[in-house]
Amino acid sequence: MTDLLVVEGLTRHFGGLAAVTDLHFQVKEGEIFGIIGPNGAGKTTAFSMIAGSLKPSRGSIRFRGQEIAAWPSHRVVHLGICRTHQIPRPFTDMTVHENVEVGFRYGGRRTAPRGPVTTEIERLLEFTALSAWADTPAGALPTGNRKRLELARALATDPVLLLCDEICGGLNSAETQAMLALLRRLREAGVTILYIEHDMRAVMGICDRIMVLNYGEKLAEGTPHDIQHDEGVIEAYLGRRASIRSAGGVERRA
Amino acid sequence: MTPAASPSPARNRLAGTGAVLTLAVLLLLPSAGVPSNVIRLLLGTFLWVAASLAWNLLGGVTGQVSFGFAVFYGLGAYTAAFAISGGVNPYVAFAAAGLVAALGSILIGIPTFRLRGPYFAIATIGVNEAIRIVMSNLAITGGASGYRLPAAGRFSQAEHYYTALGIAAVAFLVSWYVMRSPFGLALRAIREDQDAAADLGVHPFRCKLTVHALSAFLTGMAGGAFARYTAYIHPDGVFSFATGISILLMPVIGGLGTLPGPVIGAIIYSIVQEEMVVNFPQFHLLLYGALLILIVLFEPGGLVGLAKRLARSVRGRMTGGPGEPAVARARLGKVGP
Repeated sequence: MTDLLVVEGLTRHFGGLAAVTDLHFQVKEGEIFGIIGPNGAGKTTAFSMIAGSLKPSRGSIRFRGQEIAAWPSHRVVHLGICRTHQIPRPFTDMTVHENVEVGFRYGGRRTAPRGPVTTEIERLLEFTALSAWADTPAGALPTGNRKRLELARALATDPVLLLCDEICGGLNSAETQAMLALLRRLREAGVTILYIEHDMRAVMGICDRIMVLNYGEKLAEGTPHDIQHDEGVIEAYLGRRASIRSAGGVERRA
Repeated sequence: MTPAASPSPARNRLAGTGAVLTLAVLLLLPSAGVPSNVIRLLLGTFLWVAASLAWNLLGGVTGQVSFGFAVFYGLGAYTAAFAISGGVNPYVAFAAAGLVAALGSILIGIPTFRLRGPYFAIATIGVNEAIRIVMSNLAITGGASGYRLPAAGRFSQAEHYYTALGIAAVAFLVSWYVMRSPFGLALRAIREDQDAAADLGVHPFRCKLTVHALSAFLTGMAGGAFARYTAYIHPDGVFSFATGISILLMPVIGGLGTLPGPVIGAIIYSIVQEEMVVNFPQFHLLLYGALLILIVLFEPGGLVGLAKRLARSVRGRMTGGPGEPAVARARLGKVGP
């Protein structure tokens, strides 16, 4: 597998606070790469820099060899990188169908299609189980559907690399399972996924590799199994004196 | 502020037929022996309709509230006045008026669109005042004493009437086209959440500049037609802050982001203006202030929003069952924790 995304020395300061410091990692084509870490570890900051919503203070972000560190989000998306938001940001006064249509018309690696795109939108709404809500104003959707709308909208831009920011946050366990099933199907379809998540069970079950951030720096990187047994990670999450009998302890605690 | 998703074909046909019939009636009026005072009132109304629709594209559809549209109205008025004085065909002069206003909007938009929401709105007030003061002190504009257009042949009220009607019709068609186009979709997305729109590939800055220029073009043409009709303009009139407020007020009264709203708002504004200014020269400002507060507090959707709400409640009562609003409320009830 080749490296789709190469991040080197990525750093972001907010005034005197170093939110992300000298971050290095690679995401391989076709994998689900997880980023976890305690609150304030710099996950969303790192993520926003890749998506183009935030300019890095230093460092390089290369996508398929192309340097994109200073690109704004509306340019990054045309290379095939699209994000979802941790707190859904639907266009509330527009219907679910229209929300997705924005991604279709303006995102993606093609020029904006001028003709009708209804069929493609309907297919996406079906994939994300939103068909019944197509003509509902997005502001009237409950949380679970809003999360799926975030996904549907991002998928409408035909991403190569999908950035999911806590897409299972606030979902109940049935909804979480359904969402994870969607992500697996996307991986099978060849979409590479960069996945930030708090829900440990979700991350461990679905990611091929995981990077752990703490205080803006990389603490560990490896397979879910490696991460669950990493002393440093256990310490960051549970504190120095906690006694851990099994990896399962990590899951329950988090 | 909820634009209809996709009105049924039957409703579209009805609205289309209505528009064509209205236009036909308006076209026949001057030759039907209507008093010239009524024609004059209609003529003024058409120009307000054009400016109101133009402002709505930027302020209503795209959500960028500008207090500075008097700049475009004034630029259009002066451009047309100079061109006509220089012997240019009036209709070419109107196009030039639109172009100069559009150019001005780009120069203003490049710095001000770096600001968002209320900061953008405040910046437009500053720009408007700065330009008004400069214009009042330039010799070429006639300064505070104004600028008089040379008399050009016989005065024909009907011609001015048709010009104004034409400009209003162009503004209406442009608005209709933009609002149902993919461009309109991007504009609405920017209004709802600019950053989320950018994440989906919309270029907010470019879209705002484009729609600003389009709005300015239409407003500039209206200003140009106004200059030719009155044959006398002065900076403290066409460039005044009050002119900008009037242009903003009409779509707010009628219904932001809708197509009929700005038209209805402009008609009401023109009639009220006509009555009030004559009878209570100072009182009308108070009325607009009160009206603005009431609308923002109780019916942000304007008259169109009010009409929709009434229609829904009547429908709900007639069918007896849980009408549309009840369903909407049930759905809304599920939102959030």
